[in-house]
Amino acid sequence: MSAQKSMSRRDFLRVAALSTVGGALAACQTATPAPAGGEQPKPDAGSKEKITLRMWSHQNPSFVGANEKLVARYMELNSNIEIKYENFPYNDFITNIQTSMAAKNEADIIEMFGSWVQSYAKGGTLAPVDEGVLTLGKARELFYAAPLDGYVWEGKLYGMPNEYNLENGAVLVNKRMFSEAGVKDPPDWPSWDALVADAKKMTKFDGPTMTVAGFHFVNGDGLGFLFWEGVLEKGGEYFANDGVHLNLTSPQAKETVQWMYDMAVKDKVVDPMTFNPNSNWVGESFFQGLVAIGFIGPWIVPEGRRNYPDFADPWGYVSCPHFGSERKFAADSGWGKVVSPNSKAIDECWKFAAFCTMDKANARQWNVATGTIPALIEVAEDPTLLQDIDWIGPSLKVLPQGRYVGFLQDRDYIWYTVLATRITECLQGARSVDETMQLMNNEANAMIDQKLQG
Amino acid sequence: MAVATPKKGSLFRRQHLFAGVTLTPIMVYMMFFTMVPMVWGILITFFRYSPTRAGEGFLGLGGANPFVGINNYLDLFANTPTGQLFRISLKNTLIFSLLYLPLNLIVTLPLAVLIESVSSRIKSFFRTIYFLPTVTSAVAVSLVWGVIYHPTFGLLNLGLRALGFNGFAWLSDPNTRVLGIPLPMICVLITYLWSDMGYNIVIFMAGLQGIPDVYHEAAVVDGANAWQRFRYITLPLLRSTLTFVMVMTMLSSWQVFVLFFVMTNRGGPANLTRVLVLHIYETAFRYQEMGLAATVAMVLFLIIMITTLIQLKLLRKDWEY
Amino acid sequence: MAVLGKPQTLLKETTGTAPAKTGLHVTLGQVLVYLVLTVGIIYTLIPFLWMLGTSFKSATEIVRMPPTIIPEKFTLNSYLTIFNDPRVPLGRFYMNSVIVTFSIVTMVLFTSSLAGFVFAKYQFFGKNVLFTLILATMMIPFQVTMIPLYLVLVRLGITDSLLGLIVPGATSAFGIFMMRQFIEGIPSELIDAARIDGASEFGIYYRIILPQMGSALATLGIFQFMGTWNDYLWPLIVITTTEKRTLPIMLTWYNSQHGSRADLTMAASVLVILPIVVIYFFFQRWIVRGIALTGFK
Repeated sequence: MSAQKSMSRRDFLRVAALSTVGGALAACQTATPAPAGGEQPKPDAGSKEKITLRMWSHQNPSFVGANEKLVARYMELNSNIEIKYENFPYNDFITNIQTSMAAKNEADIIEMFGSWVQSYAKGGTLAPVDEGVLTLGKARELFYAAPLDGYVWEGKLYGMPNEYNLENGAVLVNKRMFSEAGVKDPPDWPSWDALVADAKKMTKFDGPTMTVAGFHFVNGDGLGFLFWEGVLEKGGEYFANDGVHLNLTSPQAKETVQWMYDMAVKDKVVDPMTFNPNSNWVGESFFQGLVAIGFIGPWIVPEGRRNYPDFADPWGYVSCPHFGSERKFAADSGWGKVVSPNSKAIDECWKFAAFCTMDKANARQWNVATGTIPALIEVAEDPTLLQDIDWIGPSLKVLPQGRYVGFLQDRDYIWYTVLATRITECLQGARSVDETMQLMNNEANAMIDQKLQG
Repeated sequence: MAVATPKKGSLFRRQHLFAGVTLTPIMVYMMFFTMVPMVWGILITFFRYSPTRAGEGFLGLGGANPFVGINNYLDLFANTPTGQLFRISLKNTLIFSLLYLPLNLIVTLPLAVLIESVSSRIKSFFRTIYFLPTVTSAVAVSLVWGVIYHPTFGLLNLGLRALGFNGFAWLSDPNTRVLGIPLPMICVLITYLWSDMGYNIVIFMAGLQGIPDVYHEAAVVDGANAWQRFRYITLPLLRSTLTFVMVMTMLSSWQVFVLFFVMTNRGGPANLTRVLVLHIYETAFRYQEMGLAATVAMVLFLIIMITTLIQLKLLRKDWEY
Repeated sequence: MAVLGKPQTLLKETTGTAPAKTGLHVTLGQVLVYLVLTVGIIYTLIPFLWMLGTSFKSATEIVRMPPTIIPEKFTLNSYLTIFNDPRVPLGRFYMNSVIVTFSIVTMVLFTSSLAGFVFAKYQFFGKNVLFTLILATMMIPFQVTMIPLYLVLVRLGITDSLLGLIVPGATSAFGIFMMRQFIEGIPSELIDAARIDGASEFGIYYRIILPQMGSALATLGIFQFMGTWNDYLWPLIVITTTEKRTLPIMLTWYNSQHGSRADLTMAASVLVILPIVVIYFFFQRWIVRGIALTGFK
């Protein structure tokens, strides 16, 4: 209770003085304000001057690994360039990009999701691609339209895609569960009903608790992809007539959500209470042996193998059915490289971006490491690609049938906050299908109206 | 108030000088980081302000960030998704705070009384353990409780199933309600109680120790039983502590963020756990609509001010008691 | 302060119903008391134990049906994964947390004790207004000023730096308030006597006041430490780049929309809370005392 027991004043003052100074010094060292462009090359001192570039991406280990290799090789080839590469938890990535752009201290090069690019290009926070590196016309020859269109705003190109992002056309299957349930493997489903019928045979319960989901599609990304595909294949269109707003109350949209609802509630092939974007996400639960058929893109395979090395079940990635006579779907653009207009060395940034995305060997290596579908046509059409990513075949088959999802103003808001969240809640029984469609329509268009204002 | 008697002449001047020299920089510094933001915060509530848009005038206001009068305030009450989301957040915040206060008191006060009643060595053991969660990072709390609530592998459902009950989808069930309160909100209440109750237990224990023993002794002589002693001696003498605890508990419950951000995944499911602080954060930093977010912050400030002032008034009364 | 070590009267120990202490009643009552308290202890400790247990399980064991309670096979894999993850410079995060926490704690202790001293022992024009102003800033919740405060930091050019975390935290209204309450209790005669002996005003602060304040400083220090060490929201807003992140931000690293492995999040949680738990067990006397102090004065 007395003062002597704790801290003498001398100690206190000494500690206070030392650490204030020390702390401030240490903080200063790490806190040199880092404007994009880093070490300020003298513009006319020639290329021998050391240039430091910062690059950001999200944290998925396979993506990070792929980028690290490219960075290392580029630095080897260009001794005057140093690239400092950092990555972010996926959940915080958008917020971090936005707050740092507002403070103008974002990285020189950002690996951005293609379907975000137009929003930033519109806001003036991205640099257009240097025409000397790549023109829009040339880009149209090199890349698929679906990924490329995400990078085009008002006739200008704002980056280069690495990835054609789609989860349509194929599903992950657990072959052990197929054989245990006596389901034909490899499957050859003529329709969604056939898939659901098989899924039912593989769904397992312990009392009322679902222990294995026959067909798990209730996922943040997947619900959006399935929804767009359903609307298009049923002959509908999700954009309103003005091409800017969305029409989420069309009969086709409603039918699609009703179909999802029936799979979950009537056929009970997935319990949306326990299998949803937040718990037992398909990208994990499949590799935990809790899912027989999972709707997700091919990129999950390297992640799953890495996170669950003990997963021993034989698995496959096989084509899935579609509605209507032919497959039609909307793809996201995909991960690619964009450049900050605040960078002090924009030219160098574009050279590196081109190195990652336009060089066939590099682009291919990036796709192989991440298990993603190539945006570069040359890579996707190379038959030897399947030797390196043998599961990706079903996805490659559908590429020509896809279109870019379109400019949604704020893609993640539409995709996750509106579609995935509201449809999940609908399947969980929080709202009827009709109420859900109305709510989604209101929320999506209110956001779009707000964005159109400014 | 004990104050050094001011002396005349140079000694007095010297004291003034010392007070001025030490206090001025500290006060200026502090006001710069509290009052300047406060005024700036009020200012931008009258603008449609986002730092992503380059404004023209002072502080980037004007131009692409136009003056909108009280439109930001009106937006909160409009029948638009923006307004609805605000009102949902407000409602959830009220539910959370108003439920948490009695829940906390019902648990912490009896626990404090019980801990006070045991012998002093074991008492400090109990107190040490009960206080332990309050030093734990809120993010870690959210993560571990998220694992406990997990529908498939979580400890809670594991226990329920072992007892022959069905499990629940604790954090993702938008339908189940207990006494009208959504299940996920109850989960947050339980977790927050876990992480926070140590404070009040310790405060109550200190309050209990301030009650002279003679009162209890006299009551025992008069034949009062334990409940009567608690009701007619402990409780009245604890009133100032109680009021203080109520103010502080209420104040902190308005500001809970991490549990709603991490454990229920940003206010889910179906926005049932979306609270004002989370709404402010998302509006300001995810959607970069800082004018609107600052407006919501002002509303939160107003609510907090009003409830605090009311409670402080009660507190003052009690202190005069 | 009658907070610690006050001998308990027999009366408070009898929570049984009978006024006279007959053996059986007392024992029954006490059994009940201990029963309730033990249930509370279990509620309090289980999450810690579950966290610890899960962190020693393999990713496969965590998702096994039926789940295990105690790890069947103890493994350090999750910890090794974190230590060896080149993308998570754990040492750097610890360093950052230590730098930020240490800087803020010492600056707050210094500014609070000095300002508290002036407010407690000096008379000057506008004193009450200034003190009311400090009380008023205590009432402003952080969430209300965080947006403009962020904008201030953007203009100062110290976002995405440790300075951005430290600079706004160098003073504490709560600290000044608490120190003033404490220093008021120090007899003014001591100060007057020192003046007569010719001590300077700063000398009085340094030689008379500070030596009396050990426990108050320790209390404020430990509170500030806990608050800063565990702070999540402000670093989340201010910090973007990896090498400037503090520990709580690291925690959400393994908990993301695209997967969260419980073994890793739990091991990371253990690593983050371990230092503060250790410090807590050393300093808990002061925490308890500090709460009583601020709760009463």
